[in-house]
Amino acid sequence: VSAIDWAVLAGTLAVIIGYGTWKTRGIQTVGAYLRGGEDAKWWTIGLSIMATQASAITFLSTPGQGFDDGLGFVQFYFGVPIAMVVLCATIVPIYYRTRVLTAYEYLEQRFDLKTRQLTALIFLLQRGLGAGLSLYAPAIILSVVLGWPPLVTSIAIGLLVIVYTVSGGTRAVNQTQQLQMTVMLAGMALAVIFIARQLPVSLTDALSVAGVLGKLKAVDYSVKLDTRYTFWSGLTGGTFVALAYFGTDQSQVQRYLSGESLRQARLGMLFNGVVKIPMQLMILFVGVLVFVFFQFNPAPLFFNKQLHAPAYEAQHVALESEKSELLKSWLSTRSPDTEAQLLALDGRQHELKAAARAEISKADPLANTKDADYVFLTFVIEHFPRGLVGLLLAVILCAAMSATASALNALGTTSLVDFYRRSFNPQVDNDRALRLSKLFTAGWGLVAIAFAIFASRLDNLIQAVNILGSIFYGPMLGVFLVGFFLKRVGGTAVFIATLVAQAAVIVVFLASDIGFLWYNVIGCAVVVLLSLPLSRVVPAPLAR
Amino acid sequence: MDDKGTPPDVDDARSWRGAYVAVLVWLAVQIAALTLLSWIRL
Repeated sequence: VSAIDWAVLAGTLAVIIGYGTWKTRGIQTVGAYLRGGEDAKWWTIGLSIMATQASAITFLSTPGQGFDDGLGFVQFYFGVPIAMVVLCATIVPIYYRTRVLTAYEYLEQRFDLKTRQLTALIFLLQRGLGAGLSLYAPAIILSVVLGWPPLVTSIAIGLLVIVYTVSGGTRAVNQTQQLQMTVMLAGMALAVIFIARQLPVSLTDALSVAGVLGKLKAVDYSVKLDTRYTFWSGLTGGTFVALAYFGTDQSQVQRYLSGESLRQARLGMLFNGVVKIPMQLMILFVGVLVFVFFQFNPAPLFFNKQLHAPAYEAQHVALESEKSELLKSWLSTRSPDTEAQLLALDGRQHELKAAARAEISKADPLANTKDADYVFLTFVIEHFPRGLVGLLLAVILCAAMSATASALNALGTTSLVDFYRRSFNPQVDNDRALRLSKLFTAGWGLVAIAFAIFASRLDNLIQAVNILGSIFYGPMLGVFLVGFFLKRVGGTAVFIATLVAQAAVIVVFLASDIGFLWYNVIGCAVVVLLSLPLSRVVPAPLAR
Repeated sequence: MDDKGTPPDVDDARSWRGAYVAVLVWLAVQIAALTLLSWIRL
């Protein structure tokens, strides 16, 4: 990383953090701190929603997924536009009319205190862990690239986020996310252009190569419960997870509750529904282009430099050059015979890598042999020009900071509103509440940093976060659905159903191979289906 | 519906229907284009 890159990276971060802190100086009331002044326009809300979901994991793992598996991961996002429409039509107007500060506050109005605090507790647990993961992801990657220990990187990013999130609250998060999202989109668009220009073949030929090797297979209509991403799991499980995430996760709810009006909130959410799939597709496509680049240029056996399998290196190099020659000949002839040979060779490459992985795992059973997360950054460092490397590093750090900032902001708000002010000190005055909000936000920042330090040895990172989310999201969504649509069900019935559903999802996770997107459907269905008969045994109080 | 189970302001909801349909049509167009990309050989 050159001096120019450092300047670009430091300059970008300094401008964003400085702008966010300056724009939000002098916040005096806890209301303004938690709600962000209620003057956000749709583009701020939309970009803030996108930046909250886009963590560093998105920019590191997603190109890696494109490199390994092609465009199929995009199916996970098919549910987002549907969820945006459903939420705009149902839940968002209710939040605005009831003037709640958190999603869980609504549940006390509808059910009772224990249901509110159970869901708030599930949120704190899940988002607290998630915030740790969103710090850890860039920390390990930067440790490989820059040689920094992940400990130092996690603490540095975490402390930077704590500074502006604690000082400016919701408004600081929204304002910085607007800029961060702009940097992320611009950085990735430049990456696509730059990689396309680096390819030794034309873009059409590059797409042909990607297509013949199965990387452009974006939609899989097969009905397989154990396949993670299919059209069906994306449309059903993806919709459920998006409904739960955008509708009940305080880190998202707080973004659109800061809107100037219901209209601005709806427009911001629909904006997210319109641009989400193209954005994810662009990031996956970066991975596909990197894959094509390495069909014609030597690639390491493992992109994570900590993985070594010397016994397989010679064979890897031989297979690579054979495949590269075969591809060139296929591009000029397009003969079916060459294509068959090509696919056979591709299969042999996969087998070789699997054998190398098995060898490494045999020597060190705890080694993480999936190196997909390292593909994109390794490419950036080795092939991008000066300046652009710094910008791409800024993209990754902006993403880490934006996701963590929303999480800390929401965790602090929920701790104050749903627990401290509700159960311990309802009469707390403004100044003390403001101080406590800042204290809770900072406290959760420290918890996230601590968790990041322990979060090593996880599978592909983005999937770890999504799996973690899916374990908790189904039951959470179930509670809200019962709240909106089954008005005869009372607090105790839904409370018991939620506990049972949560246990059921954990059992399914531990004891079956069902794709994780289905956990959302299962958890939600158990809550809805169980709370109905339970409501006959424990009816809702008539007075409500 | 609100917290007591009554539908939200009908007029307001109705004025947003066009926007909702447009977002869903855009989703269908994207899925169709991606399906085509999965099937055709460039």
